[in-house]
Amino acid sequence: MKPNKGLICIALPLVLSATFAATARADGETVAVFTKNQTNPFFQTVRVGADLAAKTLNAKTLHYIPTKPDSIPEQLSQVEDVVVKKPDAVVFTPVDYKAMVPGVEKINDAKIPTVNITDRSAGGKFIAFVGADDYNLGLDTGRYLFKALGGKGSVVIIEGVKGSLTSVDRVRGFNDAIKENPGVKLLASQPGNYQRLQALQVMENLMQSNSQIDGVLAANDAMAVGAIEALDGANRKAQVIGINGTKEAVDAVKSGKLLATGDYNGFAQGCIGTMIAIRTLRNQPVVTEIVLKPTIITKDNYQPFDVALDARTCPTWDEAAKFATK
Amino acid sequence: MTDMTKPVVAPPGSIVSGDLMQLLYRLSAALLICIILALLNDSFLSLGNILNVLRQTSLLFFIASGLTLVVLTAGLDLSVGANVALSACLAGTVIQHTGSPLLGVLTGLLAGGIVGLLNGVMVTALRIPSFIATYGMLWVLNGLTYWYMAGETIHGFPPGFRQIGSGYLFGLPIPVYLLLIFLAIGTAFAQRTIWGQEIYAVGANPVAARLSGIPVARRLLLVYGVSGTMAGLASIIFLARLNSAEADIGESLTLPAIAAVLIGGTSLFGGVGTVFGTFIGALILTLVLNGMNLLSVNANWQPFITGVIVIVAVWLDMTTRRHKL
Repeated sequence: MKPNKGLICIALPLVLSATFAATARADGETVAVFTKNQTNPFFQTVRVGADLAAKTLNAKTLHYIPTKPDSIPEQLSQVEDVVVKKPDAVVFTPVDYKAMVPGVEKINDAKIPTVNITDRSAGGKFIAFVGADDYNLGLDTGRYLFKALGGKGSVVIIEGVKGSLTSVDRVRGFNDAIKENPGVKLLASQPGNYQRLQALQVMENLMQSNSQIDGVLAANDAMAVGAIEALDGANRKAQVIGINGTKEAVDAVKSGKLLATGDYNGFAQGCIGTMIAIRTLRNQPVVTEIVLKPTIITKDNYQPFDVALDARTCPTWDEAAKFATK
Repeated sequence: MTDMTKPVVAPPGSIVSGDLMQLLYRLSAALLICIILALLNDSFLSLGNILNVLRQTSLLFFIASGLTLVVLTAGLDLSVGANVALSACLAGTVIQHTGSPLLGVLTGLLAGGIVGLLNGVMVTALRIPSFIATYGMLWVLNGLTYWYMAGETIHGFPPGFRQIGSGYLFGLPIPVYLLLIFLAIGTAFAQRTIWGQEIYAVGANPVAARLSGIPVARRLLLVYGVSGTMAGLASIIFLARLNSAEADIGESLTLPAIAAVLIGGTSLFGGVGTVFGTFIGALILTLVLNGMNLLSVNANWQPFITGVIVIVAVWLDMTTRRHKL
């Protein structure tokens, strides 16, 4: 669809409805949206954002979600499905940024325009990448915590799934924020695997060997809230930060239990990724990379995040284009 | 462990038989881990940490103790984790909508029990191998829970309810009381009741059990029902301890529960094992994590160390038992 842009610009809707009459609806393009799982609230926000963007632009979404969370073989077979069904465009989150490259190449071979969101794929061709910067999320939420602690104190890190891109980058950000604050002492950095129960138990254990813990840096919100429950159970106090900006974390920020959560902007990623896909099909100008700036949700600014997901609105294209990094 | 000469009734690991040495043998691996950890870290043997470890063991033990009965019949229940997730989400919803912790607890136990009975029906009436039946059930439950929760998290329960998970009574955490109560009930049921002995018999030799007049199908229904109900109980403890639940909480619970049963000396081939052994198995798994956290072991090495210790613990248990026999 790359050559003769001027011609296709006018003829595109007609061509599309003629070429894809069997699969695509005449009244709107179909965008296949790939997310990692049904269980993480983050991907729910991505899907709601994608649906809303598509609805606003009069297009349709079709969701592909592995029934076994983050399953590589299952996402691969869903890719094969999509190659046969040929939707007009794909918005793609790889369950594994390396292992899914062959899958991306299959979509490329089928000549379906694809936007990469959330985790940057290690290979394959994409129209654009839309994501958040895990490293800067870790760095900025860490900095916010240390500012609240007055630049000193003893802290612990609760890491996510070992070897996952998000956890590695977030924890690297945490550690760099610690290095900026010579008064902050890192007591321990232990794995919670993004799981609530494991984070609770890690925190309970760390409290046994450390009589004073001033701050907790958790690589996601579920673990941050798990750590808070452990602190509450032991009648101890510490400032806790999480990452993702889930509804539960926003509630905890509102009630003062959680100091802050770094917004991973799933909703905006879903919105903008889908908008880029549809705009490409309609031959409207797009940008090739958007890395959303980290927003730290605190008790001072939580209000806009304290609304039901489906009541939120996608950014306009002009607003989204301002985030362009390439 | 697959030998044909094993006794049909009278399990070899029976602790109420009064054999103190046997109990010590069973404990040897756990004791060894404790001694090593106590030497390496000052905080380990503090009363606070001992209670902490027992409280952490409780959740795993509840799931694994019901599962022990299933494994004693030479079956397996792979749906326990998914059952905990669904039961927790349903119980959580009921508590939030009715404000009644009691109704919530009943919902959790009932949901867990019904799932367990359905497993039992598949295994007995439909004659589906338990591995397949409960594996299928795992997916059915996951599907229901994902659909029901739609990526949401249920959170925020009344303080009274949360006491079940985080409260203390005379200095002991409430989950530890529940742990001791169910350890006693489970042991007494398996070792001292006729039904318990019949379960061992069904596992050791189902044909002989049927010929000797044991209602095999009803005993199987019972063990799957108990396994499900214990998963329901675990879901209540989970809710009360974590103050929230989401759809994916079960996945990380199933394998450790199976591991606890097997580390505790219960044979996958049925007829051999004890609920007390399962408690030791759950304790070892919890101790390993506790120790690694206390010693601040690098996150990269934790899975490796867990694996090595599990293998050594089972080897040690088998060697000491062989020595005894």
